[in-house]
Parts: sequence; structure tokens; C-alpha cells
Amino acid sequence: MRALRASVAARAGALAPVLLGLLLGACGREDVGTEVAIPAKPMRIMSTNMCTDLLLLMLVPRDRIASVTFLAHDAVEVIMPGADRGVAINHGTAEEVVAQQPDLILASPWSTPVMRQLAASTGAPLVEIDSAASFADIRRVTRQMGDLVGEPARAEALVAEMDRKLADLAANPPAQIRRVVVWEGDGNLTGSGTLTDEIIRAAGANNIAGNFPAARHATYSMEELLQARPDAILQGESRFNPPSLRESAGDHRLIRTAFKGRRITYPAALHACGLPQAADAARQLRAEIARVPSGPAPW
Amino acid sequence: MVKRLILPVVAVLVLLACCLLSLLVGRVWIDPAVLADGLTTPRTDLAWLILFELRVPRTVLALLVGGSLGLSGAVLQGLLRNPLADPGLLGVTAGASLGAVIAIYFGLSASVALVTPVLGIIGAVLAAALTLAIGRNGTLTMILAGAAVSGLMGAGLSLALNFAPSPYAAYEITSWLLGSLADRGWDQVLLALPFMLAGWACLIATMRDLDALTLGEVQAESLGVNLGRTRLLALAGTALAVGSATAVCGSIGFIGLMAPHLVRPFVGHEPRRVLLPAAFVGALLLLVADIAARLIPSSLELKLGVLTSLAGTPFFFWLVLRLRRMAPS
Repeated sequence: MRALRASVAARAGALAPVLLGLLLGACGREDVGTEVAIPAKPMRIMSTNMCTDLLLLMLVPRDRIASVTFLAHDAVEVIMPGADRGVAINHGTAEEVVAQQPDLILASPWSTPVMRQLAASTGAPLVEIDSAASFADIRRVTRQMGDLVGEPARAEALVAEMDRKLADLAANPPAQIRRVVVWEGDGNLTGSGTLTDEIIRAAGANNIAGNFPAARHATYSMEELLQARPDAILQGESRFNPPSLRESAGDHRLIRTAFKGRRITYPAALHACGLPQAADAARQLRAEIARVPSGPAPW
Repeated sequence: MVKRLILPVVAVLVLLACCLLSLLVGRVWIDPAVLADGLTTPRTDLAWLILFELRVPRTVLALLVGGSLGLSGAVLQGLLRNPLADPGLLGVTAGASLGAVIAIYFGLSASVALVTPVLGIIGAVLAAALTLAIGRNGTLTMILAGAAVSGLMGAGLSLALNFAPSPYAAYEITSWLLGSLADRGWDQVLLALPFMLAGWACLIATMRDLDALTLGEVQAESLGVNLGRTRLLALAGTALAVGSATAVCGSIGFIGLMAPHLVRPFVGHEPRRVLLPAAFVGALLLLVADIAARLIPSSLELKLGVLTSLAGTPFFFWLVLRLRRMAPS
């Protein structure tokens, strides 16, 4: 018995370098895969992330898109209705990469690992696009995408349009800086470092999420919301999402009475994805805030 | 005589103290003097809003839900003559959760506010009816049927998670299932209360029959107990009371199991004497757990159902060990 165990151990020991070699080999192959040259003007682009879907639809004609994700349609209907007509959809899976044979795959840092591996082994170049959490990020990501798909001028035009609107907002600040905070009903604190925070600032308002008494909390309760006395609360409107518990919590009786006329809805898609239209979101927000009754909250 | 009065009086005083504490404790510290002032002069200021729109309904809901759980636990332990019985055992909790999750994720809750609790109760009633239909022949078959129905409802919940429209929705379902009383208001109290009252009436109506049942099913029937009616009342009452409780605050375990055991040393083993004290202790337990959930510092909200399970499991172990000691070897 002991002899058998010893021999198994010996064999395992002998196998170890082989296994290690295989492992290293596999890694090596993956590296080669990602080094595949990207065509100067890709004609079959596959996007596997909702935010790159939207940017892609703005940058290239539809016949150059192999597919966008199944998530894109509802957001497209809000931001640019009809822009995805006739474009195929994918679910970000590995099989679809093989079936659609794209010449460029746009992925996010959260794309499935199997899809990445397969993309590497089929030789399709896969490029990871960061998510954007600021206007600077939006400029960078939009330009990066424009270069990738061979449409730098189009990307530059989108960035210029955004910057023009932002400059216009900055040049005409509102008479009064109102204090606002995002209340989604689940208590998640939308503070600095988020795109929403930048949009609020561009709209000329003060996001009070940062100076909450209990800023150490990742969440805040309705009690803290009341204590902070914001002039208005912002609630993300996702027309395309099914109603959720979160929204019903945002619709608490107390919220309805205490913030009567002080609830602002914003298009959630424009805050979730860093798109050049974020400037429009800021404009829209400023107009909404201007409609909030003047003076502090009544209680 | 005086000795017999001491215990109830102490219990009521403890409950009152816990209610006061529950009104004092929250994320925002408000001076008790300001709170007392807000209590006497109704006006729309911060203290009044927090007290009357958040903390009072939360306290009331904790008492109602805890009472429902304790009462139905006591009735079910008497009915099944099994110390491990609780509403979760018969599939009622899982059925209510499934109903509520369906209401939320098929978008029904947005159209009519009442839909979530009503579907929760319908889910609980269907689960109870299924358990009763399959397991009406005897106690053991009923427990087995309950386990099967729980499994079925659990599979339905997994299916809902599977088809959740987004990862966020899946997260929401799971965290909702953990059970919580945070940010509940009068709307929820008003929605659940009528169903709970009806459920309590059904449960209390079984009181006399449960005592006869301690002698055994045949003996109880020979004493004139209509077993079918008793089972129907107990399950309908549990479905209404626990179903509506689960529908407004998610599934909260172990209260229904623990409360009857905690009161038996004081009131004896007659099921009839256990019911109301068990409801009282259930309410107290849930209120204390909710206060603890608010006091324990954590960056994310500590869910009430998690806390009761954490505190309840050691109790369950103790119960199993005690049963093993008492059973003939």
C-alpha cells in the first residue's frame, strides 16, 4: 500500500513540469491571439457591451456592425430611436464569436473569460474598452473607439459637440446653486467619482452625497436623506427596465409627501454609459432643477 | 396570585421598553427631548417625519410580523405535534416569497400597489393548499408534503433568479429574500394588517382542538374534534398571517420556531396556553432583532432575516441535542 502511494507521488512529481509547460504554452498562445493586427477599417465589428454598442452605433454605418448586445435596443430607443434597425444582436457568448466571425471584438473588463479565450484562439482581435466615469473619460474612450473603427473624424466631431454644450453650460451658470442628491430607493450613495456626479456639477448644482454626516457608509437611509434636506432628489428613470423593487422603495409615501415637486427623473442610460450625450443629460438636468420650487425643503 | 402576575407585567414592561428603544434608534440620532416634543405636537418637521413616517410604522410592523410568526409557529407545533415545526416547514414562507417575487418582477407591483402582498398571500395560500391536499392523511405525510412544496417553491424562486432581467434584478431578489424592515411605512402596515387579523382569527380558532390533539389524532376525533377543519384553519391562518408578513418584509426565519419553545417553560405544555404568549414573545424577539440590526455598525444594512437566522441556528442545534437526549435510545 505504502509503495503504491509512493509511486503515485513520484509520478505526480514527474508530471508537474509537463503540466506547467502545458499551462505556460496555453498562456503563450493567448498572448499571440491578442497581438493579431487590427484592420485599419474593420467591416464586421462585434460589440459585447451595452456602452460600446451605443458608441459604435454613433460612429459607424450599420452595415459595418456584425452585432450589438441584446441589451442595447431599449437604451437606443431612449437616446437615438431607430439607430439599431436591422443590426443583429449577440449575448456576449463564445459561440457567437465563432458564428459571426467578426474582424474586431469590442469587450469590456467584465466580458466572459471563455469568450475572450475563444476570441484569442480564433484570431479575432479583441479590444477592451474602459467604462467612462467622467467627461475626460468620455473624450478618451470616444476617441479610442473612433481610432479603432477607423472613424477618428466622426469621434472628434462627437467630442467637439459635447465640449461645445459643456462650455455653454459653464458660461451661463444658474442664478442659484441648488443642493441635490440621487435617491434610488436602495440607499446606494452616488458620490464623487461617478459620471452622475460630474453631470450634476456640469448642470450647476451641488451633489450633497459627498458631505453626508455618515459618509463612511456605502449606503444611506431615508432618515439621513431627510436630515440632509436636499432641495431636490434625482431618480433614475429607466423606461426600458421592468419596474423593480428599488423603484417601489423610491416611491415611499414619505418620499412622495416630503419631496412633493422636488423629484427629478433623469435618463438612467445616459448616466450609466459614458457617452457624448452626457452633455445633453447635464442640460436637461439644469432645466429640471430650474423648475424646482425655490427655498429650502418645507419641513 | 401576586406571583402569577409578576411575569406578565415584567414581560409587558420589557416590550414597552423595547418599543421606546426602537423609536430612539436609527441612522440619525435625534435628541429624545426633541422626539418627545414631536410626539406631542404634530407638525411637519424632521423629528416628526422620521418618527411618524419611519420609526413608528417600522416598530408596529416588527410587532405584527413577529407576533404572526410566533402564533403560527405555536399552532403548527401543536397541530403537527412536532417541536421542529414552523411556518417555513410547510412551504408557506417559500410560497409567499415566490408570489411576491413574481409580483415585483413581472412589473405587476408598479400598476397596483396591493399586488405584491396579495400575490404573496396567494402564493402562501396555494402552497398551504398543496401541502394540505397532498398531506392530509396524517402528521408525517403533512410534514413530508410541506418539505416537497418548499422545494417546489424554492425551485420557482431559483427560476425567477435565472430569468432575472438583469444582474441587478437578481441581486435585488436575493437581498429582498433576506428579509428587512428598513424604510417600510404605513402603506405596508395597512396592506398587511387586514390579512394578518384574519389569519390570527383562524389560528386562534384552533386553540381548543389543539389541546385535544395532544392525546393523539384518534382520541381527538373521538372527543369530537373535526381534524380536517382544524388543519384547514391552521394552514389558512398561517398562509394569511405569515404570507402577508413575508410579502411586506421578506422571509424571516426561526422566530416561529423559537417563540413557542421559549414560552413553554413558563406556561406549560398545553398548546392552548402557548399560543398567545408565543405571539407576544415572537413580537418581542423580532423587535429586539430589528433594534440589533440597526445598532450593529456595518457599512451595508444588516438584513433582519440574516440576523434571526444567525441567532436562531444555535438554538436549533440546542433543540436537536435536547430531543436526542430525551428520546429513548
